[in-house]
Amino acid sequence: MEIEEKLSVLNYKTDKSYAHITVNLDICETCPDRFCTFGCPAKCYTVIDNRLNFKYEDCVECGTCFFACSHGSVKWTNPKGGHGVKYKFG
Amino acid sequence: MSEFDAIVVGAGPAGSSAAIRMANKKLNVLLVERADPPGSKNVSGGILWGNALAEIIPEWEKDIPLERLITHKGTTFLTKDSSISIDFRSTKFLENHSGYSVLRARMDNALANSARKAGAMVVTGVTVDRVAKEEGKVVGVEQDGEIITSDAVILAEGANPRVAIDSGLRKPIGDQDVAIGVKQIIRLPENTINERFNLKGSEGFAGEYVLSYLEGEAEAGGFLYTNKDTISIGAVISSSKLREDGQTHSYDIMESFVQHPHIAPLLEGGKLEEYSAHLVCEGGIDSVPRIYGDGYLIAGDAAGFSFSNGLMIQGMNYAITSGIAAADTVIEAKERGNFSSDSLASYERKLEDSYVLKDLKNFRNIDKVTWSRVTHRAIPKIAENLLYSMYHETGRPKKHLMQMILESSRDSGMSKSQLILESYRMMRRM
Amino acid sequence: MIKQVPDAEEIFIDPVKFTLNRASARGIINPADENALELALQIKDKTGMELVVITMGPPQAETALIECMGRGADRGILITDRVFAAADTYATSLTLAAAVKKIGDFNLVVAGESTTDSGTGHVGPGVAQFLDIDQVTYVTSAYVDKENVHCERDLEDAVEVVETPMPVLLTVLMNSNIPRHSTLRKKIDAIRKGIEKWDHDTLNLPPDWVGLKGSPTIVGALRIPQERKREGKLITLDDIPEMVKELYEKGVIGKEEEL
Repeated sequence: MEIEEKLSVLNYKTDKSYAHITVNLDICETCPDRFCTFGCPAKCYTVIDNRLNFKYEDCVECGTCFFACSHGSVKWTNPKGGHGVKYKFG
Repeated sequence: MSEFDAIVVGAGPAGSSAAIRMANKKLNVLLVERADPPGSKNVSGGILWGNALAEIIPEWEKDIPLERLITHKGTTFLTKDSSISIDFRSTKFLENHSGYSVLRARMDNALANSARKAGAMVVTGVTVDRVAKEEGKVVGVEQDGEIITSDAVILAEGANPRVAIDSGLRKPIGDQDVAIGVKQIIRLPENTINERFNLKGSEGFAGEYVLSYLEGEAEAGGFLYTNKDTISIGAVISSSKLREDGQTHSYDIMESFVQHPHIAPLLEGGKLEEYSAHLVCEGGIDSVPRIYGDGYLIAGDAAGFSFSNGLMIQGMNYAITSGIAAADTVIEAKERGNFSSDSLASYERKLEDSYVLKDLKNFRNIDKVTWSRVTHRAIPKIAENLLYSMYHETGRPKKHLMQMILESSRDSGMSKSQLILESYRMMRRM
Repeated sequence: MIKQVPDAEEIFIDPVKFTLNRASARGIINPADENALELALQIKDKTGMELVVITMGPPQAETALIECMGRGADRGILITDRVFAAADTYATSLTLAAAVKKIGDFNLVVAGESTTDSGTGHVGPGVAQFLDIDQVTYVTSAYVDKENVHCERDLEDAVEVVETPMPVLLTVLMNSNIPRHSTLRKKIDAIRKGIEKWDHDTLNLPPDWVGLKGSPTIVGALRIPQERKREGKLITLDDIPEMVKELYEKGVIGKEEEL
């Protein structure tokens, strides 16, 4: 099963006005490890043509990328206004 | 004059327990939760052990949605080919209820409702930005540029405590503090679950696993809990080992667990209902920050109150107990009219007298056992070799047990003296 | 006017009985109503008008009203009574119109264009009819200028700009703006202020005008469309005339007069 299929069962209320995580791609450009791409269980961080790609919309809000990034690129906040993932089971 | 006696940030087991206790004592309490409804951001990789809830919700076994009473416990080493278990089931659990499987979206919503019924004001769907400070003292919380004042703030925001970090009340979390938890909910008919796990009625199974088949440096534990008509299955992955490894994906570890030849048959035919991830506090006592100060207290996972020795994973009971202790501290502080750091210091003493800090102190350095080559590679390898050579009939003369142990340990990748030393350390820490 | 609906993301079709299973779905504010509220809040921000949110539904709908007040609405009114239950869009419109009248003088009534749980789009226009006021449907944005309201309507292939005097009712399209977040300050104030609950006695409507009794709609039958197998075929440019012929013969396409 691919990650897209797993995430497709989730209910998200996506906030179009606020990305709760932002990355500084200039820093990612020179990143030697890109551990975010191994740590993030939702695979929000991918490398395409050697460039880091990030999508906050798929985030399940675990916080892994916040400490996974040791280069100061990831800025992590909680989504606002009840937005983001809405677990039914937990 | 503050608007509230206390503001609690986070409506999980710690926060709601604190709010219920304070509201029961007629304090003017605000409970703020970023999820709407409460529980919809929360994930657990554990069992609700003990009956800490009884103190605030006498009829908790009726009032709180519980899944199954755990009567059957397993600890298993999974190698590539084999499964080696300690299996414990006891009818004693039927008399002395020890633990329940729970689904947090349901449980936490019920806890928040209990807080509302007790008289706390519950605001959901609002994310607190940081605590408000005045001359170094916490005087309330800040949200969208506005300050809501309170005599005390209890931070119970879980394993990824943004408010505490962003307010400078604890240092940012690191590899040594947390593991990465990944989880799936699989739906299966109730009777299929009962048949597969040999359970009757509402009895439940809770299994912990060491995923020793993993390659490279990666180390992970697994869990499998039966709910009424779903199974909670997940992996808890060491952050530092995953980083060391540098080529294994957390997602693939979860996948490898559910697809393992000894696990997959248990889930066969099930429907994926949810995929989730959450941080798991793993740092033990060394990860616990300063848990009180002028005008504030930290409870539950936000304070690092969680414990695992591989046989037992505990967190929700610590959360509830620490939430109640924080509430009692605020209640006493209100009687004294003093919310200074000195006045709130009794919080730590309460926890030192309870199992929360006792456990964490007794098991200092347990992470060096739960996350080690010995536990994750050597022991399972030795056990597998030993049991296989015992049970596998070759038609040749039998060997003595000691000889087999020594032979088994030979290809575990550790020297004899190393093994003896590590085993001794392990026994002491556990 | 808003409605609390079961979260469409959490509704699933029972694979055996082919019925909608709503039991596990949690309540949310109907998405288009969130956009209607946002549009009303933008008008309130500019004009200082009082904004009252009305909903009809079970007592649990209170949380939806608190959320609206948390975003900036001044009052929340919950029309709730067992006798209002099982109302169709006719009886619902009539009841809501009675509530709007009871509030008193008003300039604008703003509602979502349709709901995700029934999708008729009847209620907004129905309320306008019962109030005997004009309506502008499919609105994406609006502002008030003196006695008039300027609206943009999305007509799919065109945008129509309408200027009309008030009072008027607007129905707002889903996704036409980005709803703001509620704030802690406003939500605390909303909970303290509380919502107003209006029942059958408050509205004082004849009993056979409301609820199931006041609902002339009869559901004839429910049919679930058969899933059709889709076929794929790879063609080149040269095959197009042949493909058109085949599609015509299969009845997929026809001559204009036939369609």
